[in-house]
Amino acid sequence: MKYALRRVLQAVVVVLLAYVFTFVVISVLPGDPVTNTLRNPQNGFSEEEIQRIVAYYGLDRPVHEQLWQSLSRFVVGDLGVSLRSGLPVSRLISEVLSSTLVLAASALGVALVLAFAIGFGTQYLPKRYGQGLLRAFPSLFLSVPNFVIGLLLINVFAFQLGLFRVIDSEGGLATLFAAIALGIPVSARIAEVLVANLDHESAEEYASVARSRGLGRTGLLLRHLLKPSSLPVVTVVALAVGELLGGAVITEQIFGRTGIGSLVERSVTTQDLPVLQAVVTLAAIVFVGVNLIADLVYPLLDPRVRLGESRSRPKVEVAA
Amino acid sequence: MSAAVALPTVRSFSTRSVPVGVVISFAVVVFVLAWSFLPGFFTSHDPAVGVPADKFQGPSSAHWFGTDHLGRDLFARVVHGSSSSVTSALIAVLIAVVVGGLIGLVAGFVGGWADTVLSRLVDVLLAIPEFLLAVIVVSALGFETINVAIATGVSAVGVFARVMRSEVLKTRRAVFVEASYLQGGARWHILTRHVLPNASRSVFTLAVLQFGFAILIIAGLAFLGYGDPPPASDWGLLVSVGKNYPLAPWLVYAPALVMIATVLSVNRISRWLRKTD
Repeated sequence: MKYALRRVLQAVVVVLLAYVFTFVVISVLPGDPVTNTLRNPQNGFSEEEIQRIVAYYGLDRPVHEQLWQSLSRFVVGDLGVSLRSGLPVSRLISEVLSSTLVLAASALGVALVLAFAIGFGTQYLPKRYGQGLLRAFPSLFLSVPNFVIGLLLINVFAFQLGLFRVIDSEGGLATLFAAIALGIPVSARIAEVLVANLDHESAEEYASVARSRGLGRTGLLLRHLLKPSSLPVVTVVALAVGELLGGAVITEQIFGRTGIGSLVERSVTTQDLPVLQAVVTLAAIVFVGVNLIADLVYPLLDPRVRLGESRSRPKVEVAA
Repeated sequence: MSAAVALPTVRSFSTRSVPVGVVISFAVVVFVLAWSFLPGFFTSHDPAVGVPADKFQGPSSAHWFGTDHLGRDLFARVVHGSSSSVTSALIAVLIAVVVGGLIGLVAGFVGGWADTVLSRLVDVLLAIPEFLLAVIVVSALGFETINVAIATGVSAVGVFARVMRSEVLKTRRAVFVEASYLQGGARWHILTRHVLPNASRSVFTLAVLQFGFAILIIAGLAFLGYGDPPPASDWGLLVSVGKNYPLAPWLVYAPALVMIATVLSVNRISRWLRKTD
């Protein structure tokens, strides 16, 4: 319990620091982007509105005061106001959040299915035929840029076969193909771990014993190998959450979807910094949260692991 | 005495036989590196000037990868593009190794509050998705290829810092380091003589792996248009422009295949290095 509390506290600190970090990165910007964006006649802000936003962000005051102000707002859940539209950032995000969540969840589903298919395949296919090819898949998947996968899928399934259209892209099939594009690199990371674990477990003595007792390949796989091999996948999936969120920027652009990724892309082109900062912090929250949960839940799934033990290594002080 | 002792990093390369796949991978990487440093040596076509009459020609013996919408030779554009794509990836890895390595070294070797502070910083760097981190850094610095390289490097600092720190901690606790301390070895001596050589192997393997990932991230950023605009011909940008001409699919496939072959080779080499450890 004490361990859990410490981890939660640590996670909160990391999230706050992530906010500060993004703020610092963004204020490195040469020139005065905030004022530039505000004064840009394209955005059509009246002088009053500009004054209001300048006062809101404390833009007429020193940087550390600005940071303090936006940080204290962030702590109570206020993500600020978009410089482009003047709308609250939290509203902009919540409008598109569900689309990205659906995409990311489907991508994760695709990744898991693919990874387990590869993992099982390596156990079933004969060593000579097919297995080597199957084993090469993960490193191939990791070597293809995800925009190439997306363009390939669109070219074959949308343009040639006409299965879906890229224009009204929120349909089921369009989402599925976007999820495949986003999920393939993630599946590679899961498959790598899964295949290695299956190999390791099937070489263990208990597996030989089970085989010698006449247990078939499927029985061995399902009854003995599957559970210990797939537990570490939890950790990999948690780490892959970041990749799903980052990859969404490109996947959403290619498939013409509106979501967090396209919001990022638009905010980058329009230099809408509060939106960028909010999204990045949100991504950090999701990532830290998911990994925290994975770490805390893991020992419940795998009784061999005990919390805190590996962390409380005796500290060796070197005499200087 | 000290001069006769070979560094542990050099030893394992020569003694083992090298698999065919790795040899091919090395060949691909050497080729691409040669492209990027001497692009003019491999193609006589100008990457920026085209012959309008020759536009949208498929791959042929005159134009290996075909020509684009302005009649420019795509092979020349890919070769010249590699000099910015591959160099950017090298710069990115260099930044990640130096900055991340330093952070990890100080955190692991000095320990105490320096470790606490730096480890939190690394936690933050690791908590922000790599690609998003690269996107905000490049948008803060401005849309140029060199900034894309810097952003990609920054996004990988956390990984290197963490590996370096754990390697340093591991070595610092080793018995031979303790012995060296007891013999009166100075901190600086321990650092340069024992800790760095031992950590360098893992960091080097990671750097090779990261080189491949850096190519992908840089291509992604260039694809989104955050690098130099055309007529620059970064691989990602070539694909991004090429996708607008579905009737000339080679405009997408040629640069994509070059990219895939390069990253695949780099990953293969990295996997081999890990295995020979």
